[in-house]
Amino acid sequence: MKNIEKRIRYIAKELFEKGKIELFIGYEAATLPLKSRPYFIQSKEGAVGSVSSPVANLVWNSFCSNNLAVFLPKLFEIDPRSRRKDPNLKPKIAIVAKGCDLRSITTLIKEKQVPRENVVIIGVPCTGMIDKDKVEALFSGDEIISAEERDGLLTVNTRKGVKREIKRQDVLQECCNECCCPLPPPESTDILIEGKAKEPVHGGYAEVQEFESRTPEERWDYFKQEMSKCIRCNACRQACPTCWCKECFADQDDLRWIGVSTELSDTMIFHLIRIFHQAGRCVSCDACYRACPMGVDLRTFTRNIVKDVDELFGYVPDFNLEEIPPLSTFKEGDSEEFITEPEE
Amino acid sequence: MLNPYIPHPVIIEDIVTENDNRDLKTFKLVFDRKEDEFSYEPGQFAEVSIFGKGESPFGIASSPTEKGYLLFTVKRTGSVTEELHNSEKGRKIGVRGPLGNSFPWQRMEGKNIVIVSGGFAFTTLRSAITYILDNREKFGKITAVYGARDPGELLYKELLKEWQEHSSIDLTLAVDQKPESNWSGKVGLVPNVLKEVGPAAENALALVCGPPIMIRYTTPVLLELGFKKEDIILSLENRMKCGIGKCGRCNIGSKYVCLDGPVFTCAELENLPAEY
Amino acid sequence: MECGIIKKPDLEKLITYATEQKKVFYGPVAGEKGVEFKAVTSYEEIALDYDNVKLPPKSIFFPQREVLCRFSGDTLKEVNIEAEDSIIFGIRPCDAAALVYLDKVFKDVKSRFQDPYYLMRREKALIIALACDTPRATCFCTSVGGSPAGKTGSDILATDLGETLIFESCSEKGKVFMDKSGLFKRPADRDIKVKEEKARQVEQSMAEIPTPNIAGLTEKIDKDFEDPFWDAITRNCLGCGACTYLCPTCHCFDITDEENGKKEGIRLRTWDSCQYPLFTLHASGHNPRVNKKQRLRQRIMHKFSYTVANTNDIYCVGCGRCITYCPVNLDIRDMLNTLNKL
Repeated sequence: MKNIEKRIRYIAKELFEKGKIELFIGYEAATLPLKSRPYFIQSKEGAVGSVSSPVANLVWNSFCSNNLAVFLPKLFEIDPRSRRKDPNLKPKIAIVAKGCDLRSITTLIKEKQVPRENVVIIGVPCTGMIDKDKVEALFSGDEIISAEERDGLLTVNTRKGVKREIKRQDVLQECCNECCCPLPPPESTDILIEGKAKEPVHGGYAEVQEFESRTPEERWDYFKQEMSKCIRCNACRQACPTCWCKECFADQDDLRWIGVSTELSDTMIFHLIRIFHQAGRCVSCDACYRACPMGVDLRTFTRNIVKDVDELFGYVPDFNLEEIPPLSTFKEGDSEEFITEPEE
Repeated sequence: MLNPYIPHPVIIEDIVTENDNRDLKTFKLVFDRKEDEFSYEPGQFAEVSIFGKGESPFGIASSPTEKGYLLFTVKRTGSVTEELHNSEKGRKIGVRGPLGNSFPWQRMEGKNIVIVSGGFAFTTLRSAITYILDNREKFGKITAVYGARDPGELLYKELLKEWQEHSSIDLTLAVDQKPESNWSGKVGLVPNVLKEVGPAAENALALVCGPPIMIRYTTPVLLELGFKKEDIILSLENRMKCGIGKCGRCNIGSKYVCLDGPVFTCAELENLPAEY
Repeated sequence: MECGIIKKPDLEKLITYATEQKKVFYGPVAGEKGVEFKAVTSYEEIALDYDNVKLPPKSIFFPQREVLCRFSGDTLKEVNIEAEDSIIFGIRPCDAAALVYLDKVFKDVKSRFQDPYYLMRREKALIIALACDTPRATCFCTSVGGSPAGKTGSDILATDLGETLIFESCSEKGKVFMDKSGLFKRPADRDIKVKEEKARQVEQSMAEIPTPNIAGLTEKIDKDFEDPFWDAITRNCLGCGACTYLCPTCHCFDITDEENGKKEGIRLRTWDSCQYPLFTLHASGHNPRVNKKQRLRQRIMHKFSYTVANTNDIYCVGCGRCITYCPVNLDIRDMLNTLNKL
């Protein structure tokens, strides 16, 4: 991983020196253990005030779970009131992309939120990211002070003085355990960093299948239980790269589709609609799940929609820029039964 | 404990359509219960409530010298105002008030008052002018410049006619562009007309109510005429919900438009961030 | 009684006493949402060795969803203010201090408008704070004038001495409660020494954490209003609002009406956030805080400048929740340190 980190720093430096980009999006160390955070570097000329952003701060490690694609739509948004002379002037941005991130970027390109020619995609082979919650769960409430990773082992130090080594493989995020695309294909990137990715998993829907095997009553109870944790903060929506609607249906008040409170029916409908809007677009990056401060188990439901679209349409959003997502198009063979032969 | 969130019931006694576009209406509201009547000073506002739709803040257009009713002039813009415009006489709605601060009446006594307004922001100035004329001896020379896009958009046309015939107020009306119909008033944007009228700044205070762009161009004219920043009085608007300084929405820096405003002097605004 | 000792299992008697007094006893309970305040009927339900609740106690007095009134057609039907007699045990000193700030908002310093929904619940609640044993790495109460054994905002401050808890009254209400309950024994000198030693230890631990230095910040933060620092940190922010929802002193809310097909409905108060773009949007389309930078800046300025100008208070208690839960790790400590050096 250290090699990949070095390469990322080198590539960033090169791209700036050759004047190829105005912005570089990668990761840097966070102020909390078991986390890395998004990191923005502007070119030397555009260096911003008192916040210095040297290339040396870029990192690559097992905590780089944020899906960086979430920042792209806003960066390419043209403000109609902008006074720039050329309204088509868009920035050139380089972005570090894991497999899931790149699948989100691909969807955004297809949906015309990101112009392909303006992004320099730096593909990174991924061996999976560590799940902070899984690690914390191993220490029963004892606060983790530091977590260092080396050669597949995570050394954790806690406030009460406990020191333990954990195999990183044992505490990967569930979405990584089920990941179909840990290695971005070279043709979908501008630069693909060399390295080994973990083995892809196809049809990795074990958790969802377990959920589906429960009775409808059990499933509904679980859904209700999770929904009652929600405080309607919208962190899930803001963290999701493919939630880019300029006006979210939940915010409309003329007509008002759902209420804004934690009334259970409103909460349920918010999540149902948001997740259904992700059909054919969700890449199971779990950004929503991680962003949620209340620990709502969103991934059981988002993964469910991914499985449904996979089974019904044979489609999982991947790196193919040509394939149109099934809900954005119509094929002659699509089922019409619900129109022509409605149920009694 | 008094509950400041609950509106008091009022009945719509009369509705007057103010403009040709029919999107500006003046509502005359009478309290259902006499004990709910409140006293207020020109410049203050109230939250008008329609159950099922919500509330909207409006400057009180009637003067406290007009007893027994409240007047609000409302532009149809969103869901509450749409519902209000679709309402008929006799409907019961709600009012919470008085809210905010008023024009600085104590300071204004004995002074010459210059009033500058544009469009439908003129509402609280209707209150102010009516109040001044009902207490004429307390104030000096009254000069007013009021402009709109075209003659049809001017509010309170009957009252404006009365005031123009009044000897104790010097009222100049203006429209942005020369209209097709007969127009005896000025033609030009309010800041330019104000320059032409050129009221004296000595012993004078200016009340300015209008859209942000009008205020932006009027303030320099007043400063040139010699008005001091603390003598230029503005009435601002901001998105509001509670109207009582708790929901945190309408702040400009450390000031809440619903509590410390909506009336601010130019001098006060200079110390606040330009987020309004 | 100003100071009393109670054995931990005897908290059971305290709960029974509360029930007899028709008060609901809330304590920290481990559950689905982490540790949260729940009504308890037995001492065993209480989790004493927890760091802090996820949702701050503002959610008890200022809930996410509050029905202000009910209406039918154009007529007001009902104004129902639910205020139960309660004892809330286990609030951390930072969260208790936050309640004082919220009191000022809902009472209004100029005493013009009082919020009966919040205030009636507050008046009927007895706050028993629990002093902290060890700070989290994200705590910084000492930077903003607080303390892990602080008494601000509570009626009684309890400190865990191991087998027993020592209760100290911090208000008349607390004193009267301790007297009337008759459940407390006079503490021995040793108990007092242990308590003071604990307080000293935890303050020492606080000194070892990198807490931000904000000495003099409130005087100069206004000058940095246009500094490009704000543009730089805005890029990371998702505008998600999690920081404001989990903040113990954030109090912004929305009021909306909801009605069914029969025109019966409720006027609802719900949490809102200055971080949302629609927060300040006028019906005309004008938005005073149209971009994310202005909104992010508003949050910090509100807490470290505007509230200082109005009531001489910094509306931050250093609880660290915004740091722990920010999905992109925007760390307020870094922001404050940087702002103080500008």
